[in-house]
Amino acid sequence: MSAPVEVVLSADSAGQLFNCAVFDPHSGSEFLSYRGGNTSSRSLTVLNGEYILGAQLGKNFINVWEIQRKDQLQQKIVCPGIVTCLCASPDGLYVLAGIAEAIYLWEMSTGNLLAILSRHYQDVSCIRFTDDSSHFVSGGKDNLALIWNLSSVVQLDSSRTPEPCHILSRHSLPITDIHCGLMGPQARVATASLDQTVKVWEVSSGEMLLSVLFDVGIMSVTFDPCEYFLFCGGSDGNIFQVSLCSTSLSRDKTFQTDSDGNQVFKGHRNLVTCLSVSMDGTLLLSGSNDETVRMWDVQSKQCIWSINHKGHVTNAVIIPAPANMFLADSHPAVPLPRFSRHLNPSEQGDGTGSGGMCLRLGASTQHFGLKTTDFKPLKCNRQQKRTHFACF
Amino acid sequence: MKAKKQKRQGDFQKVQLKVGKKKPKADNATNVNFRSKAIHLPEQLKHVDSGPTKHRQLDIMDLLSKLHHINSNIKQGALVGLRELLSAQPSMIELHASAVLSEVAALFTDKDGSVRAAAVRLLRFITQCIPAERVVPFFPLLSAHLTCAMTHISEAIQEDALRVLDVLLEHYPGLLSQRHTVLLTNFLELISQKRKAATGQDKSGKGGFALTISTNRSVTAQQWRLTVLLRLGSFLQAVVEERPLDEGVTSSIGLGMWAGEKGSVTSVDVSWEEHVFGKGRIQVFENSGAVPTPHSAYRLRPDSKAGAGMNKELCSAETVQGFAGTLVPLLLEIWVEAAGGDHVQTDSGHLLSAEAMALMFQILTILQLLRRVSPHRDQKDILDAWFRNSYLADFKHHFMKNFPYGLLEVARHKKKADGKRIRQQVAAGTVAGGNVEPLALNVTLCQVMVTLSLRGQDHVEAEDADWLGTIRVFIRETLSNGGKLSSKHLAALLEVVWRMIVTQRSRVVTDDLLQAVYVQYQQRNLAVSVRSLLLCFFSQFYIQEHQNHPHIARSRILARWLASLPVQLVQLGSRNPQLSAQLLETIHPAAARGNKDLLQSLQKNACSIYDPQEGCVVVLPVESQKRLVQILHSLPAFPAELLACLSQVCNTGRVSASLATMLIRTIHLRSPLCGWSSSSQDVPVKDVDYLSFFFTTLTGFSSEMLQALQDTDEDSLLPSSILSPLSVFATTLEQFLHHWDIVEEVCHCLDTLGSRAQCFDVIQNAIIKNLCGLVVVPDCVCAAILRCVPRLLDVNFLPSDTLLHFLSDCCLSMLNLLLQLEQSAHKRDAVWEACFAALSTVPRLLRLVLQSFRVCDLCEEELPVLAQILSLLLQHTQLHLTVHTHIWLLMTAHIHFSFHFYGGETREQWLTDLLYCYSVTLFGHRANMGMRDIY
Repeated sequence: MSAPVEVVLSADSAGQLFNCAVFDPHSGSEFLSYRGGNTSSRSLTVLNGEYILGAQLGKNFINVWEIQRKDQLQQKIVCPGIVTCLCASPDGLYVLAGIAEAIYLWEMSTGNLLAILSRHYQDVSCIRFTDDSSHFVSGGKDNLALIWNLSSVVQLDSSRTPEPCHILSRHSLPITDIHCGLMGPQARVATASLDQTVKVWEVSSGEMLLSVLFDVGIMSVTFDPCEYFLFCGGSDGNIFQVSLCSTSLSRDKTFQTDSDGNQVFKGHRNLVTCLSVSMDGTLLLSGSNDETVRMWDVQSKQCIWSINHKGHVTNAVIIPAPANMFLADSHPAVPLPRFSRHLNPSEQGDGTGSGGMCLRLGASTQHFGLKTTDFKPLKCNRQQKRTHFACF
Repeated sequence: MKAKKQKRQGDFQKVQLKVGKKKPKADNATNVNFRSKAIHLPEQLKHVDSGPTKHRQLDIMDLLSKLHHINSNIKQGALVGLRELLSAQPSMIELHASAVLSEVAALFTDKDGSVRAAAVRLLRFITQCIPAERVVPFFPLLSAHLTCAMTHISEAIQEDALRVLDVLLEHYPGLLSQRHTVLLTNFLELISQKRKAATGQDKSGKGGFALTISTNRSVTAQQWRLTVLLRLGSFLQAVVEERPLDEGVTSSIGLGMWAGEKGSVTSVDVSWEEHVFGKGRIQVFENSGAVPTPHSAYRLRPDSKAGAGMNKELCSAETVQGFAGTLVPLLLEIWVEAAGGDHVQTDSGHLLSAEAMALMFQILTILQLLRRVSPHRDQKDILDAWFRNSYLADFKHHFMKNFPYGLLEVARHKKKADGKRIRQQVAAGTVAGGNVEPLALNVTLCQVMVTLSLRGQDHVEAEDADWLGTIRVFIRETLSNGGKLSSKHLAALLEVVWRMIVTQRSRVVTDDLLQAVYVQYQQRNLAVSVRSLLLCFFSQFYIQEHQNHPHIARSRILARWLASLPVQLVQLGSRNPQLSAQLLETIHPAAARGNKDLLQSLQKNACSIYDPQEGCVVVLPVESQKRLVQILHSLPAFPAELLACLSQVCNTGRVSASLATMLIRTIHLRSPLCGWSSSSQDVPVKDVDYLSFFFTTLTGFSSEMLQALQDTDEDSLLPSSILSPLSVFATTLEQFLHHWDIVEEVCHCLDTLGSRAQCFDVIQNAIIKNLCGLVVVPDCVCAAILRCVPRLLDVNFLPSDTLLHFLSDCCLSMLNLLLQLEQSAHKRDAVWEACFAALSTVPRLLRLVLQSFRVCDLCEEELPVLAQILSLLLQHTQLHLTVHTHIWLLMTAHIHFSFHFYGGETREQWLTDLLYCYSVTLFGHRANMGMRDIY
């Protein structure tokens, strides 16, 4: 059997059978499962294709597995508080965790805690990176969503406290989910909220582009990769599909009545908490509080398969299959450093303890336009350095 | 012969004409008794083009050519004529705009005063008629002539040039502000002249210009400067306002930003229903496009087109600095003259004459405008820093010396000559745009000075302390002396307060100033605009600055203000919905951010806010109601009383059904039973309270109301009988439907709870305890119970007998009611849906219903009803499987009916129906049996 291109990763709140498990997106058969503890909502993330990180529900630590060693818990990262959400950057260099009202930013090469951002007034409910890791968006129970520029957050200038580049304050109730589209800093972001709306924003300007009002609170949201459709998981178990590029009233469209149910995925009986679309935009994965994970065909809106879990589904996501996942004898390229618990800027200069060196943009060199190009060499350098140190 | 003669005589008889007799008419006379018609032309035909297009026989070309005449009277006459002609024929203005404008503009510099005045009048008339976009091609000419007039050697022409400027500013501010490079220099030259370079006076740091004093003007030098400065002020105002608005949300500190965020992108708003039915077509990509908005923070390549060339020069800080470097020394000189010219004695230096005050006010306004000319925030900061470095010492020395200025009471009755002077001054003053209040002057002074204080540098704070202290004292006293302030002054004062608090970063200052504002806020009988301005200040101040500055976050006054908001909301009631909405705009974010003071106060007042009778949640408009429901999300705890209130709010029908469902969902989400909020240690809604809230909402009637119903006998009460064991209280259609929507939501919420068996057990107990003993039951309660029970029923759980009997009573009464309902199909459907769901889902219920028919006890009038019910049940094939198990029941009924009626002649329609249904059912049943026998 050839290795699948994409896999489904899901976790529930009970954790009886497994903490999280990997399924085949087409048949729903289980590939792997990772044991030990359970994972809280929106806090399961894959770091660099080599580790799985999941925040323990109601406890102040993060479980880490090496992606190929499914039975053995690699380590526990102890955090200063209960982790409410967790996200690793797509380039694998940083990890963000929402701990109560604050956002903690760790650097993966050294394990240093780079920043504690406390601009939210209430618990952070969701954090997402843009696909180029240049920005991240955080949403909280204080009805605010903040767009941050990563390079301005990590810069060495410690005299200034980092500010978000945009504050999205148009929601009137807690934000439940965020989804970042593709295209890096020019991406669009969708935010879902209990105020029964889903809003689409532009990352670069912080402008709101679209607001869709539903008759139930929305618990989860996602785009398909082309951003043709917006999928919104309601608190009544329905999944609504909003077409973002409806052609103007063309001839073939008028004959086809858009009756109710044409644009709704019906099947779940409770809050739809997670949504994810496959790479080709044909499959939609949904996880719900009715303890099932369902896979849908987007075109026909039929449920292809469903898996029963033992508790509320907390995370369900379609990810590209990591290379190491099915190779039992592989090793991560970089050992996971010890995560520091305290912000300690003085330690950052020497970098002897962790065997890495910290490169960061100074305040003066920071330029919006340069940012994406700057990061590429930085990443290469760092990875070279890492592999170098790993050889020792 | 004789006869011949006679005959001849007869032939040639001579007519004797006699005097006095009428002459007989000749036979061949022409009859002139006819009339002829004619076309009368009283005047000659005129030329087609002339006529109304002429003024005193002169057409427009003649008039224009007369403008070149040497005689000024003729020129003036021609101007007047042009005006009359054009006002009679407005269509001609556009036709001849270029000719007229160029000729008129040439007369700005005419040496005769009356001609110039007439030219200005004509210009004013023309500008009213031509919109700005049509004047664009002629504007260079106009402004060239204006410049010519402004720099003219004759002073009278200069003065009149300012009138022209007024007219143009009034109608074409945008066009005029593009000419700022030329005009600003012109302004300078009006009041000053270039110093000779040789004199080398630059060492004093003053600019290259010196004030001019001319003695032969009709007005004093001060008045002249005042008029010039007034124009300069309004010109700068135009420049500021007409700037292309690409700077977006420049967060300057001022009232302008209070308007909140205004996107340059118009966002698409659709609701789900519209989208589903194809009304709300969404084109997000059309909207934002592949190109990022100009609003974007990214400048990926140098933007060559930005600013459209128009205000390019004035945008940069350097140009403003260059101009200000010349202007500010002049302004300071004028200030010194105005301050010192009147009163040399120092003791009353703060008292000023009205004219000096107007002049000073104008100076300060211009300084303020200069700062605002540059649109970008970073450049504003550069400008502020530059002003501070260059002029702080001067400003401090001159402006702050006698700071709180007052109006000098001129002794009017001293001398007659004096009186004459005053009259002159008054005349000048009216020209200068009215007298200026001392308060306005002082407030503007504060505004100008405060912009010089920089934020955040500790070493600067010490040097600034003295003059900032003075300003602080002034502001505090002005705000807290109990006087009423106009909203304009108040806005300016609040702006100063904001800036001072942000820059000074001291808790003492913050509390001191906020206290003063709070005193103002607490005054009674404030005008609504003033009240909402203060409210707006506090709320924006809280929302925007709270997080960034710890000294603001710790302010006691702000905390006290926030805590007072819920009380005010309750007190305000329904008197002023706008103000209530404004209050809610602050309460909502503050509650969402978990502000402790506010939440405590909110918790304390929650019961009165959410009171079902006169609480805000029922009396305010829909938008505010919605916000109030949303605020519930952040309320720390829901005690039982509050839940009781909320339950009644849902059911009294004073909030819409959709809002009530929102409220129910909120309570559901806040409860730990819902399983959404994961990591909260505290429990906002206790499980007991949660369930009793849902049960109360489900029934829709409190226990007292139900008790009261037992004793009433109203018309709407349907009496109980064998076929309707419960006496049904029919509610209005509206109430029934409202309740129906709510029941749907309650069922949905209860449905999603974790353990269904336990949940059903609780509901069953509640029904048995509260409802089973009742004799009179409202129909909506019956329907709700019948709907709720089958939805919550777990397959493994057997309902108790008491509940089943009650359900069968309800069901029968409802079926009975169903037959009497004609008025609303909607209600009938709802009732039938509930009955049907209960009968088909709850085990043993159908049998109980059928058993309770007791056919033998029925009187004859009730038989048709029974038959109708039976046929209704028989018609629904889903019920058949259960029905056929009770076929014996039907058999007895059949026999009974046959016994009664087969003998009679008349076969009633209902009996025919019943028999038909019965035979169909029986046949289907037999067919099934037959099939089963075969296989």
